[in-house]
Amino acid sequence: MAEIVLKHVQKVYPNTESKKKSFFGKKKKTEEKKHNLKVTEDGVLAVEDFNLTVHDQEFVVLVGPSGCGKSTTMRMVAGLEDITSGDVFIDGKRVNDVAPKDRDIAMVFQSYALYPNMTVYENMAFTLELKKVPKDEIDRKVRSAAEILGITEYLDRKPKALSGGQRQRVAIGRAIVRDPKVFLMDEPLSNLDAKLRNQMRAELIKLRHEIKGTFIYVTHDQTEAMTLGDRIVVMKDGVVQQIATPQEVFNHPANIFVAGFIGVPQMNFFDAQLVRSGNGFTVKTEDMNVALAPETCAQLALNWDDGNVKEITAGVRPEQILLADKGEEGALQGTVEVTELMGSTEHVHVTAPDGQFVLIIPVVDLEAKGALKAGDTIWFKFEKNATHLFDKVSGKNLI
Amino acid sequence: MKRDKVINRALSIFFTILSLAWIYPVFMIALNSFKKATAISTTTAFDLLTPETFNGLANYMHALNEQGFASAFMYSLIITVTSVVLILVCCSMCAWYVVRVNSKISNFFYYLFVFSMVVPFQMLMFTLSNLADRIGFNTPFNICFIYLGFGAGLAVFMFAGFVKNIPLEIEEAAMIDGCNPVQVFFKIVLPIMKPTYLSVGILETMWVWNDYLLPYLTLDSTKYKTIPILIQYFRGGYGHVELGPMMACIMMVVVPIVVMYILCQKYIIDGVVAGAVKG
Repeated sequence: MAEIVLKHVQKVYPNTESKKKSFFGKKKKTEEKKHNLKVTEDGVLAVEDFNLTVHDQEFVVLVGPSGCGKSTTMRMVAGLEDITSGDVFIDGKRVNDVAPKDRDIAMVFQSYALYPNMTVYENMAFTLELKKVPKDEIDRKVRSAAEILGITEYLDRKPKALSGGQRQRVAIGRAIVRDPKVFLMDEPLSNLDAKLRNQMRAELIKLRHEIKGTFIYVTHDQTEAMTLGDRIVVMKDGVVQQIATPQEVFNHPANIFVAGFIGVPQMNFFDAQLVRSGNGFTVKTEDMNVALAPETCAQLALNWDDGNVKEITAGVRPEQILLADKGEEGALQGTVEVTELMGSTEHVHVTAPDGQFVLIIPVVDLEAKGALKAGDTIWFKFEKNATHLFDKVSGKNLI
Repeated sequence: MKRDKVINRALSIFFTILSLAWIYPVFMIALNSFKKATAISTTTAFDLLTPETFNGLANYMHALNEQGFASAFMYSLIITVTSVVLILVCCSMCAWYVVRVNSKISNFFYYLFVFSMVVPFQMLMFTLSNLADRIGFNTPFNICFIYLGFGAGLAVFMFAGFVKNIPLEIEEAAMIDGCNPVQVFFKIVLPIMKPTYLSVGILETMWVWNDYLLPYLTLDSTKYKTIPILIQYFRGGYGHVELGPMMACIMMVVVPIVVMYILCQKYIIDGVVAGAVKG
């Protein structure tokens, strides 16, 4: 029922604003965030040419490091931030100049933003009371939302008497009761501790299927992005880097930034040369020579300009590196720097001539081969077709 | 540690003596308000009450029956209530707007308000009373607008300090929930600011209730007297002073405000701190 379209949306914070703030010695959060962003004559470009269509009942996650413009984008959809240029449509209606209250949206904030002077019940009923919904209907809606979220017993409490997780549930409940077209969630789990965050994440996934709404979700946590989103929008410095499904983003990152941002621990990068010989391609370093699969070669050949050698940055995910035996074909030698036991796996940091690598080794494998410790020399190799190739200058994925 | 203890003890003694010095005059007034007129003289004023000098509540009855006490009380009450209400309503809205809009102009006005606290009343009292007289602001019913002007500095400063501590997200949530700006203020901001209202209210009440100079200069004193002015009128002509009833009258004026202060002092300190430090 609700489709959100953002067309060429831009946000520029005028220069005067930052001048004024520094004049009075105040530093606001938004200003601190701006330092990586483009500065034009008009001001600081916080969001640049943002295009996205969120389909009905889709869950789209905006993800990126702090200050990448993801919250600003969401706030523009909510109407809390003016749009400098471009258009936002909700359900086909242009809403650029529509007040937040008339956009039929609900928003969950990182800081919960509950009304401290009202009880949980009043917090959830507030929006319905403003809409002059009959009392018994308000009661029914609030109680059913409370039931879904498991907060029925706290309905008479004030927010300050609740724990962080309970407060966040109330905030979500406040959003559910009004049955909005669009749910906007601005880092709703960031203020919770790790355990509670995992639990709430699972509940959000469940909830999402129960209430069938259109969601835009902002987070800097790539795990949340991967697990919650139907599609992920990766942003950096106000520019969209990639819009795709979580699997696509993970397997085929559009550029080196996306590759490094998604995945924990992050992808291993090393400098290499891409060498063409006829229709075949090989990735070459001092002690590595990996021939690429024919289908990869065919793709590379399509965009290949002159020359036989190209400087590239290659990337391999830690989980796609295997331990190898000495002298095995394609095996690289390295020295163990640090090992981190994570339970069922161990993260092994290795220094090799080509650079630093992190390997994720299942503990079962280690039991067979014997424990690793700092200073050990090991051999490792990449899984087949595991290597991602990025242009050294532009950072774009070459495949 | 030991040195700290000694310093603490010395400070306690010092401040006890100091507080006694402040309490002493009030105590003297209370004491003399129960004495017979003959027992209040330069030599006997400091004596404690004895059965011979005790006058019961006669002085209080005299003060109450004094011509104009009831009307003075009413005028004081009207002026205090209207002024304080006006200050609270206008200044809290103004502070909210100034903080939230945060433009050059609003900042300018904020600093103008703060600056007004620096200007002493005595500097402009004659021009002000003259102006008030000309435009007819010299009755107990509209003197509150003059009080609004003088009270705005402190009130806006304190309210602004508190508003800065209200997370903006709460107001944004209300806006998304369906409030217009006026509703955001009255339904969300105002209830959150209750403690500040209380502390600003108490400070302004004490000031307006006890104020002598402003009503004396602006009000038409043949028609309107507030209680502080009335007390002055106990000094009759030819150096005759009715000290007993005067003391009783002072007590009746001071006691309510002192009781209110003691009951609410927690909020006063909270409010002042919120404005001054966290702002």
